[in-house]
Parts: sequence; C-alpha cells; structure tokens
Amino acid sequence: MSSRRPAFVASTADLLPVAESIAEHWREVGATGHLLARNLDTGEHLGFDVDTPVPLASVAKVPLALVVLDGIAEGDLDPALAITIDPATKSLGPSGVAAFRYPATLAVGDLLHLTLTVSDNASADALFDLVGVEHVDRRLRDWGCTGIRIRHRMHRMYECAAGVAGDDFGLALELAIRDDAAGQHSIETLDPAHANVGSATALVELLQRCWLDEVSRPDATAELRRLMALQVFNQRLSSDLRADTVRVSGKTGTFLHLRHEIGVVTAESGDRVAIAALTRSARRASIAHDIDLAIGAAARSAFEALRS
Amino acid sequence: MDLLAHLEAYVAVTEERSFSRAADLLYVAQPVLSRRIKTLEQHLGGELFDRSRRQITSTDLGIQLLPHAKDVLSRVEHLRQVASAALASASQPVGVPPDCDPAGLARVIRAGAGRGVTISVRELSAEERADGIAAGSLAFALLRVPPESASHRVPLGLATAAPTSRRAVHLESLRPRRGAVAEQAPPILLTAEDGLGFAAERFDKAAARAGLAEGRVRRAASTATAVAETLAGHAMLLCAEPFARRHGLAWSPLADATLHRGYELASTGNRDVPAWLEPLLVAAVGAGAEPAGKAVDRDVEIPDARARLAARG
Repeated sequence: MSSRRPAFVASTADLLPVAESIAEHWREVGATGHLLARNLDTGEHLGFDVDTPVPLASVAKVPLALVVLDGIAEGDLDPALAITIDPATKSLGPSGVAAFRYPATLAVGDLLHLTLTVSDNASADALFDLVGVEHVDRRLRDWGCTGIRIRHRMHRMYECAAGVAGDDFGLALELAIRDDAAGQHSIETLDPAHANVGSATALVELLQRCWLDEVSRPDATAELRRLMALQVFNQRLSSDLRADTVRVSGKTGTFLHLRHEIGVVTAESGDRVAIAALTRSARRASIAHDIDLAIGAAARSAFEALRS
Repeated sequence: MDLLAHLEAYVAVTEERSFSRAADLLYVAQPVLSRRIKTLEQHLGGELFDRSRRQITSTDLGIQLLPHAKDVLSRVEHLRQVASAALASASQPVGVPPDCDPAGLARVIRAGAGRGVTISVRELSAEERADGIAAGSLAFALLRVPPESASHRVPLGLATAAPTSRRAVHLESLRPRRGAVAEQAPPILLTAEDGLGFAAERFDKAAARAGLAEGRVRRAASTATAVAETLAGHAMLLCAEPFARRHGLAWSPLADATLHRGYELASTGNRDVPAWLEPLLVAAVGAGAEPAGKAVDRDVEIPDARARLAARG
C-alpha cells in the first residue's frame, strides 16, 4: 500500500485541513481510500483521490436500483411482477433472500427494497437477470454517468474469490491484500479493469442528481431516496451522525478488504451533504470496528464542515 | 604390541641404567620390563642393550634411537595433555530465550557443575536457537513451538504498571471504548521472543481479528526500553508472569492459550538430554504445569463460511 500523499480537493482553503485530518485518521487506523463530500445546495466540497475508479462491491446496487426504478417509472417494468428465487441457484450472501433456505417469490418492488435495505445479493441478481447487466451499464452511459461501470452480477464476486481461494475467507483476504501491494489482481472482481467500478466523484454526482431529481424520472429518484433511507446498516457513515435531527440515507459495500459507503446526510435544518467514502486496508480481519468508525468520523467532520 | 609402553621401558632402562630401578619407576614387575625390552629389540631387529657386563650399557643402536623414542613419547604426552585440557574446558552450550529467570539459569549451571558438566548458557532469539541446533553449534536449546503441541507451556499475559485484576485478558476488550472521553489506547509491546516468526504472525492475526488498530501492536527496540515504557505507564508488555514480577509489573494472562509460548527441548544430533537438565531449564523459562487460559475455537462464530466471500452490506 502506497504511503504517498493523497491528492486533496477542497472548494475553499478552510476545508482543506478537514480533508487532511480525515486522511490522516484513516492512515492511523490502517485504511487508505477515497473520499468526496459535497453540499448539494452550495456545491462546497472536500475530499481526496476523488477520481480513482474503485471496485464498488455492494455500492453497485445503487445504480442497479436506479435503472430498475427508471424502467418502472417509464412503464417498461411492472413493480408488482412476481419473481421466484430458488435456493439451489440463488446468489450467496449473509442477508435477505440470499440467506433463505426455501424458494421465495417476491415482487420486483420488494426485491428493490431488500437489495438496498439489507444488501441482499440474491434480490439484486434477480433484478440484474431481469434487466440485464449490459442494460444497466448502457443506461448509465445514456445519463452521462461516465465514472461508473457495471460489468457483472453480485454473485460474480463470490465466484472470483472462491475460484482462487476455495471457501477459505482468510486466504481470499490475504490474496486481496497482497495483490494490492503488488498491484496485480488474482481476484478479477477487484481488478478495476473488470470489476463494477466507480470513482468518489462519479458516485457523489449520481447521488446529487438523484436527490435533485436531475436524472431518470422524479418517481424513480424519490423511491431510490426512500429505500436508501431504510438501510439497516449503520456502522459506517451514520455511526457518529445519527440523531433524530440527522438522517443518513446510504448504501454500504463490503468485500474482503474493501469497506465503502455512499450516502446523503440530511439534517432537519435543511442541510444536505452527499458523501462517498471508499476504503481498503491491509487488516487481516473481516470486521474492523475502528475503520468503520473512522469512516463515520470522516462523515461527521465533513458534514459539520460543509453544512451552512 | 603396545609400542608406546615398550618405548617407555626402553627409555627408562637407558636413563636408570638398571632393569630393577626402571621397573620400580614404571610400576611394573621386572620380568615384564625385560620381556618388553626383548620384544622391542625383536621388533626393531637389533639389540638395544649390552647385557654381557655387570653394568648394563646401551648398544650403538640403543644410543642412536634414544632421542627419537623420547620424541615419540613427548609427542604422545602432549597429545594427552591437549585432550584432557580440551575435555576440562569443553562446555555444553545451551540456547535459551532472552528473558529467562537469571536465578533459574544459575541453578542450571550449578547442577551441571555438580555433575562435571560445564554448561554455558546462551541467550538467543528463537530463530538463532533453531539454527544453532541445526548447525550443531548448540548442544541443547529450548525451541519455540505452537503451545498446543508443546511439551512445555509458558502462559503469556500483559504486564502493566497499574495493578490489574488477575482475570484473563481478552484482546477485544482492549479496543478503545466508543463514546467514552477520548481514551489513550496504550500500545502492546512485543519483545524479540514474541515479535518474530509464527508466534508473532499468530498474535498479529488475533489482534486484527479482535478489532485492534494496526499500530497497537509494536515490536520493542529492546527489552529494557519495553520494560521502561511499561513501568512508565505508557504501554502494555506481552510477557510471562515471572518476567513481570521480576520487574515489579502487574500481570494478567491472555485468555487465548493459543497465543501462549510453547517450548520443546532439543539436542544436536542424537545426543541424549540428561534427565536433570530439562526440569531446571523449564523452570528457568517460566513454564507452568498447566496453561492458564483455555484454547479458543477460532471458527466458532462463522455460521456460513461461503457467505463471507460474497459481497456483504
């Protein structure tokens, strides 16, 4: 992992130290990565290394959901369409239908719910199968979301990790960390050339357009905002922000050594800040409480610095 | 024929000019001495003494060979001296971990001296001890092995300046408390014996899995500074209980016994380990009869191993 100084961005000089202290804190806990936080109304922003394409893990479920919601809003897709997911062929995952043991039949609208709220891989792949991976990628092109590429279903991540490491999580993690240091990729879904990728800039841009109804149709973006507010995971962006007066609508992404979350922080006061926090670390552990908290601390610092 | 004994007889008779005095000198009976001279004369092919007169005298051959016989004897004597000197000073090098109890090591040395064995204790790193046994430069060494398969276990724990309860320490309890007033998390210092090799790798992995930040576990530059940092209250030191006691530090064992030290006493080649040596060395290194903690089943909380490789939340 490189110890080079990150490329900082800040709309005003007083925001630069905030970005620097966040990068320093991440370095202290052993994480490196990419951060961009932008006030949706003032355009003020801060961050570092914002244009690097990063494998998205479950963050890819946000553009997927937007494309499916767009199809519904256009009248091409029926949200009540029932889809049956067979446990024998479903995608693996720890939550939602991916963890179910019996066939489940759900409507498209509810598959979207499980995809965004509990990061259900089986629901997400049922949606990918419904609209097609290429269609999602093409739609993003149409919308001018050039910094995001969608190239595979969710289950591809498991297949690539298990392909090199069997079902040994520790070995897959070790390979991911070593590959990072060596700058090569034995797990294809960690290779920016083959993975679902996005830069912090592109992801914040997407969030901003969803929150300001500047992409797809308002029906679709409104439903995306509603579902992202229902996410059950709160160990990252919202870990130090949550209050009755502050809401975080987000989507996490976790795969081997990657720990991401993108989301929009909205306060009762009316402030809205979109944040993309994408990290990787050399930690030989599945759970890194302090890295999650460091992402939460970054979100809080950025939000407090950028709100008016 | 014992050529040396015969040459000795020849030199003694020449110098004493008398069979009886030479026999006295060499503590042998005179007939034995006479027989030896005869045998030697047959071996060399000529008489060494003129026995025709009342006073025994050397023949020309006897005179000519004398300095050479003396030379052979003095060289043999020298060989014997070198051998016995080498034997007297030959010590048995024993490789031990660098933080043994000095009093315990003194007992090892004294026990050896009492049995005519000079023990030289060498404090070496785990790697140097293993190399020393492989290369034969150490007679015996305590080798570091995983505690679960070791003959001798030394419970490891964390030493601190402030008194602690004697309860076992769980690594995950060392995480800074969330929501508390900014708490300084003291580093965990590893000395050379625990900071290298498979044991260090194991400790790092356990620390990562327990959620400890990367920089928490540090290799101490030296044992003395590690103790000093700990005494000053700036750090916790991974060590065995006797070591902590010797330095006036409080100590609590690590709950995970797979992180404790394991030792096996090894010897070079197929040398037997003397029965008295092992218990004394084991005591010096601080091995307890029973591990203080219990082994932890590492995979106990993983319901679906496959789901861990999938993308998660």
